[in-house]
Amino acid sequence: MADTDLTDGKANGQTADDLWNTREPEDRDVLVDIQDLCTYFYTPEGVVHALGGVGLQIGRGRTLGLVGESGCGKTVLALTILRLIPEPPGKIVRGKVLFEGTDLLGLDQAGIRKIRGNKISMIFQEPMTSLNPVFTIGFQIEEVLMLHQSHRAPARKQARDLAVELLDMVGIPYPRRRINDYPHQLSGGMCQRVMIAMALACRPSLMIADEPTTALDVTTQAQILALMGELKEETNTSILLVTHDLGVVAQSCEDVAVMYTGNVVEHAGVEDIFSRPLHPYTRGLMRSIPTLEARKRGEQLHAIPGNVPTLRNMPKGCTFHNRCDEVMDVCRRERPPMFRPHPDHCVRCWRYANG
Amino acid sequence: MRPILEVCELKKTFPITSGMFRKSAGVLKAVDGVDLAILPNETLGLVGESGCGKTTLSKMILALEEPDSGSIRFEGVDVVRARGSSLSQVRRGIQVVFQDPFGSLNPRRKIGSIIEEPMIIHREGARTQRAKRVRELLEMVGLHEDILPRYPHEFSGGQRQRICIARALAVNPRLLICDEPVSALDVSIQAQVINLLVELQKELKLSYLFISHNLSVVGYISHRVAVMYKGRIVELADAPALFENPLHPYTGCLMDAVPEARPRKSPAFRPQRRGGDQDSSGLSSGCAYRAWCPRAGGICAQEPPLLQEKGKGHFVACHLADPQG
Repeated sequence: MADTDLTDGKANGQTADDLWNTREPEDRDVLVDIQDLCTYFYTPEGVVHALGGVGLQIGRGRTLGLVGESGCGKTVLALTILRLIPEPPGKIVRGKVLFEGTDLLGLDQAGIRKIRGNKISMIFQEPMTSLNPVFTIGFQIEEVLMLHQSHRAPARKQARDLAVELLDMVGIPYPRRRINDYPHQLSGGMCQRVMIAMALACRPSLMIADEPTTALDVTTQAQILALMGELKEETNTSILLVTHDLGVVAQSCEDVAVMYTGNVVEHAGVEDIFSRPLHPYTRGLMRSIPTLEARKRGEQLHAIPGNVPTLRNMPKGCTFHNRCDEVMDVCRRERPPMFRPHPDHCVRCWRYANG
Repeated sequence: MRPILEVCELKKTFPITSGMFRKSAGVLKAVDGVDLAILPNETLGLVGESGCGKTTLSKMILALEEPDSGSIRFEGVDVVRARGSSLSQVRRGIQVVFQDPFGSLNPRRKIGSIIEEPMIIHREGARTQRAKRVRELLEMVGLHEDILPRYPHEFSGGQRQRICIARALAVNPRLLICDEPVSALDVSIQAQVINLLVELQKELKLSYLFISHNLSVVGYISHRVAVMYKGRIVELADAPALFENPLHPYTGCLMDAVPEARPRKSPAFRPQRRGGDQDSSGLSSGCAYRAWCPRAGGICAQEPPLLQEKGKGHFVACHLADPQG
C-alpha cells in the first residue's frame, strides 16, 4: 500500500499505523479512497473536531453503508467529499479524498464544480424541502442536464425527452404527464424518486445518499431501496448510503463503515459486520434493536449507557471508553489506531491490538 | 377485566376544499369506524403508514378533536360529551408523550416549571408538595434533580424525551398515549427509552396506547397490536400471533417491507410493489385495500369487510382471511 503521505499525518500527532491500517483496497476496483480526513469547525466556544482522521474506501459499483448516531459526523463526511462545508466556520484541515485517482481537496472551485452533480451527485433526507416548490419537476431535471453536461448540453426539447426517460426509469407512472407537476403535487416517495432521477441524470460514478428513506414510510422505503439497488446494477454507480438504520444497511449494502464521534471505528463487509461485529459500539448497536423474540424471552433491551459525547468535550483516550463495558486501562489513556484483526475487517479498538 | 378505554364505531371526516373559494371537493375519512379497547396495565400497539389516521384517533381520545360519530369511554366517562370537571378528570387520566422532544418542550421555561405545570393546571398540591413530586418524577425517569433550573436546549433528545415522560406522569395518569415516542431518537437511546417505558408500566400499572410506524419497536413493547389502514383497523391480535401469523394481506406487506437487521441471503432485496404511495380515493365501496391485494376476489369489490374474530383474540377485516393458512 502506498505510504507517501505519512509525514503529514505524523506532524499532526497521527501514528503511521493509523494510515497503514486503514482498510486496504485489495484487488478491488476502488472508486473513492479517503485517507486521514479531518474537518474542524472553528466556533467561538472552541474547535470542534467533526472528522478526526477518517479513512475508508468505496469500491466501484458497490454500496457502502455509513452508520452512526446523530452528531457522529456522517453528514459532515458526505459534505466534505463534495467540498460543501461552509468555510468559515468549517475547514478541511488535512487528508485526501482520492476520486478516480484525483484528490478532490486539491481542485480549485471550477474543478470541483465539474465533479459535483456530474461525477458525484447527492440525495438529501427530505425530498419535499430539497426540491424547489416554484418550478415543475420537469424543469428541475432539465436544469441539471443542461447545467452539467456542458460539452454535450442538450437542447431544451432533447432535455425534456431525457427527463421523461429518467422519470420512467425511477418508476414514476405517466412520466409525460407528471413532468409538468410541481413538487407539492407528489407524495414523499414520488419526490424522492424525482430526487434520484436528478441525481442520476448525468450518470455519476458516485451517488451520495444522506438518509434517503428516513422521512418515508416502510413500504415506500422498501420501494426506494429496491429502486436504488436496481439502478446501481444497471448503471454501475457506487453509492455512499448514510443512514442510522442497521436494517437498511443489512438489506442494501455490500460494505459497512461504522462511525462514532467523527471517526470510523469499524469497516468491513456487510456479512462480517453482522456475523461478527468486533467493536463494542457496533455490538451494542446491534443488541439494542428490539425484537419480538427478545420480548418473548422476557429480556430487557440492551441499551448502550450514557449519551453520545458532544464533539466539544470529547473524552480522553478512546472516545467510547466511558460507555464501553469492556473498557481497559489503555482505553482511558490513548486513542486506539485502526487494527486489522482479519484481512478485510478493520476496527479501532485496543482489544484487537494483538491481532 | 373491564377495559380502561373503550372506543366504539368512531368516525371523523375532514372536508377537502379546493380552488379559490374553498369549494368543497369531497370528504377525507380520516377515521372510519374504529373499535378499540385497552385493558388496565396493557400496551396496545397501533401501527400504520402516515396518513392512515393514527394521530387523528389519538387526538379524539385526548378530547382534542371532536368525532363525527361514535363513542369513547374512559373509565366509564364519556370523553366526547365530557365538560367541566368530568373533562378535567379525563384529561388528568389520559396523558400524552409526543414524537418530537425538541418541539414539545417550551424553550423559554426551566425543566422544573415544565414538569410542575400539569399539577398547577389540575390544582394539585401546595407548592412544597409539588416540588417534592417533581423530584420524585425525575428520579423515576432516571434524571438527576440538578437539572431543574436548566433549559430544554441543554439536553439531548433522549434526555428531553425522559423530561416529556416525567411531565406526562405528573398528574398520575392511568393511560399514556405515546405518539411515536422513540422515532426521533438514535438506536442506542431508543432502547433506553423503551426500557424506561416498560419499567414504568410495571411500577405504576399504566396502560399505553403506543403509536408507531416502527414494527420492531411495536412488536417488542406491545401486548396486543392493531394495524390501521385508511382509517380502519384491519387486524388486531396479540403481538406474537400477529407477527407470526399475519392474516391480513396488508399486515404481511408491511412486515415484508421492514428491513431486517440481518444481511440478505437472496441475491437482491425485492419487495412487492404494492401498498404505500397509491391513491385509492376512487374506491368508494368494498375493501379499501383490494387494488393492491394479491388475493382480491369479487366479494372484495362489493362489501367492505368487517373486523371479525378469526382465531382466538385475532381479529381481521378481510373476506378471504383464513387462519389455517
